[in-house]
Amino acid sequence: MATRTGQCLCGEVRFSAEMPGISYGVCHCKMCQRWAGSALFAISVPEADITFSGQHAVQRFQSSGWAERAWCGKCGSSLWYRVTEPGPHHGAYEIPIGVFDDADGLVIEHEIFIDQKPDAFALAGGHPRLTQAETLARLGIAEE
Amino acid sequence: MKGHCLCGAVSVTFEPAADKLSACHCEMCRRWTGSALLEIDAKPGSVAHDGPVKSYASSDWAERAWCDQCGTTLWYHLTLPGHDYYSISAGLVEDAGGLTLRTEIYIDVKPGGYAFAGDHETKTKAEIEAGFAAFLEGAQT
Repeated sequence: MATRTGQCLCGEVRFSAEMPGISYGVCHCKMCQRWAGSALFAISVPEADITFSGQHAVQRFQSSGWAERAWCGKCGSSLWYRVTEPGPHHGAYEIPIGVFDDADGLVIEHEIFIDQKPDAFALAGGHPRLTQAETLARLGIAEE
Repeated sequence: MKGHCLCGAVSVTFEPAADKLSACHCEMCRRWTGSALLEIDAKPGSVAHDGPVKSYASSDWAERAWCDQCGTTLWYHLTLPGHDYYSISAGLVEDAGGLTLRTEIYIDVKPGGYAFAGDHETKTKAEIEAGFAAFLEGAQT
């Protein structure tokens, strides 16, 4: 597996990850829109395969009953989305592609919550685009 | 326009300076937002905000702000004396304010794995930095 390193804008928080692959997801849910400004472009790295330094600077917000979002308290860079609730998705870090030192070579696997994306922009490419209903079905979550 | 962060603690009101969204792919915006900064330029004097805003001086001429409670990306702000310039993160306003992406800057340093669809006005790093150098020179005189 390839190792990729990254850091936030100010360099206080750094990481090294053993990459399970090269493909990432783009989430257009309303929460990711607000938080990241456009959408969350993030690649999933298992908890055991990533090490961080500068953890003292990390701040977290429990954005739902099942997940947290973290950022650097010194420069505000978005660091991760992570499922905190026990279950099949627990623990993995969803790392924004932009915090990697080199994001080249990482490619979009799919877009999720595509029906919540504003008309303002669209991403090019023929990758799958899942609606909210399709996204929740894939995650095994019953729609409310 | 009215916007707020993910947790709702920070609210902002502003008037867009133009009828468009812009994206910045520079390394600083990339690391800060995790992709690109998708933003709405605010009209000078039109920005008002409330709530726990924290900011970082990312250069000698600008700062970047976020919500201290939820970490939401808020804005890029020029701190040069005599200037009033805010780039407001598009995600703060519902449906990106109904605006459309029309400009991409630092297009030549965008990661290769994705692209915004459609024809936009684009500028390279060299084009932007030449313009900015001239602007800073003007600001110092």
